[in-house]
Amino acid sequence: MSTITPPRAPGRSFTPPPAPSKLRETIGMLAVTLVFALAVVLADANWPRLLEAPAVLGEFVVLMTQGVLQNPLEAPTNEYWTRSLELMIESLHIAWIGTLIGAILSFPLGFLAARNVAPPGVVVVVRQILNAIRAIPEIIFAIAIMLPIFGLGPLAGALAIGVNSVGTLGKLTSEAIESIDTGPVESARASGASRWQVIRYAMVPQVMPEVVAYWLYRFEINIRASAILGVLGAGGIGSILSALFNIRAWDRIGVTLAVIIIVTLIIDAISGSIRHRIIHGAAPRGVRRRRALTPEPPPV
Amino acid sequence: MSASTAPARRAITPPKRPLPSWRLPVGLAAVVAITVWAGISIEFTLTPLITDIGRGEPVVRGFLDPNWLFIFRVWDAWLETIAIAIIASLVGNAIALVLAFLASPVTNPITPFQKTMKAVMAVVRSLPDVAYGLIFVAAVGVGSLAGILALIMFNIGVCAKLTAETIDAVDPGPIEAADASGASLARRARFAVLPQALPGYLSYSLYVFELNLRASVVLGFVGAGGIGSTIRVELSRFSYENLSAIIIALFVIVFALDAFSRWLRKKLI
Repeated sequence: MSTITPPRAPGRSFTPPPAPSKLRETIGMLAVTLVFALAVVLADANWPRLLEAPAVLGEFVVLMTQGVLQNPLEAPTNEYWTRSLELMIESLHIAWIGTLIGAILSFPLGFLAARNVAPPGVVVVVRQILNAIRAIPEIIFAIAIMLPIFGLGPLAGALAIGVNSVGTLGKLTSEAIESIDTGPVESARASGASRWQVIRYAMVPQVMPEVVAYWLYRFEINIRASAILGVLGAGGIGSILSALFNIRAWDRIGVTLAVIIIVTLIIDAISGSIRHRIIHGAAPRGVRRRRALTPEPPPV
Repeated sequence: MSASTAPARRAITPPKRPLPSWRLPVGLAAVVAITVWAGISIEFTLTPLITDIGRGEPVVRGFLDPNWLFIFRVWDAWLETIAIAIIASLVGNAIALVLAFLASPVTNPITPFQKTMKAVMAVVRSLPDVAYGLIFVAAVGVGSLAGILALIMFNIGVCAKLTAETIDAVDPGPIEAADASGASLARRARFAVLPQALPGYLSYSLYVFELNLRASVVLGFVGAGGIGSTIRVELSRFSYENLSAIIIALFVIVFALDAFSRWLRKKLI
């Protein structure tokens, strides 16, 4: 290949443009390093124990694997598996009811928080309420509001998860409503539809697929949340997990964690494929579906 | 063209309504069935809301009378919480970035290796943060180190998945250009993929940081340090005035950090 000399203006030598300044990047990096160093000091962590951690963790993993590899049909082990599975299903129930409560409550709130539906005053108030709910961890809902009234149990967990889901789901629903195609809304108005009819026939059909996908996504998150609430005594897999850690029954912990991982992966896969089908529709007949890019909901 | 062959005098009839798909009723029936099953299993009832609402009264009274001074009395626990969140999100997100590059077919051409990394990420993500909390408290003892390690695992799960999906969806143009000019795999990832994935990655990292503040409350409950431990102690002492003050302060902090990270996101992207 011959080298091509760039055309030059007569009498002027070619100079490349100067590299952009890296000052801002450097300052940013320095700031992050400083904050990190400060955090390492302030965290008051027992850093030397970090060195022993790999060995200890390795030992735990060996013990847990032994538990998982025991014959699952024999006397003590089969009970571990069935008990864990029962409690995991209870966790799924808690998450399901919680998601349903969240979905039912958040749907109207989503419309009230959408600028193209509700008056501005209402939008501001509802948005602040949704933000407030999002800021509080569900564990606080559970201990502060639900446990005193409903007592220790799965119901309190489901209600706490439900109320907590409203914040995220309401926000996502309102964003979906705000980004709809205005065409159907205009044509509904032009043909004399009332406000309710506009919402029912021009808006709801447009947002429903996206909103249902968000509900499923939230269900996946709520499964993990219900495990957390179990530690407080709100039923489900979390309650047995903390009890097992107290007595350091590593073989049973291994079995329980295996059940959590397997069930969660299965539910995630099912929910993911339903979400994909809702958003992208069925693959055309005879065409093998390419690995699809399922857009995840934006982080919330 | 059947319309042109139709007789011109025939009145226009609207097209027939399409038959409703069998999927909708079947799906709805499944949802109802699962709901009934779940409702029975957790003994769903709203009657305590009417009969036992009085039991919440001392709690509510405590909550309406927050002990403001308590916020400052436990200020070291606050610092610890924020420090835990900062360390865990920086370390976790850094590991997540590497994992995301290894788990995407765009940047990792060795298929078995890439598939394995993807599976590892799915397993890491399937365990709830509290399970990691329990494991690390058992391994390194009660305290903030356990919280940091648990949150790192949690962050890897969240951030690596989102970033890997961003990498999957990058514009292939720059990658082809890099390949055409003979770039190595590392250089291709650095100069063709990373600049495209960076805005998404930074945004997820900030999101993870926000999650960490909330998650560290939960982790405190299993002994992993931070303000969660304080909340647990106050809860077991039924001192709702102190709890109320902590929750309000937590609320303000989360809110302020939310605003800060939104500002930072706008600046960076």
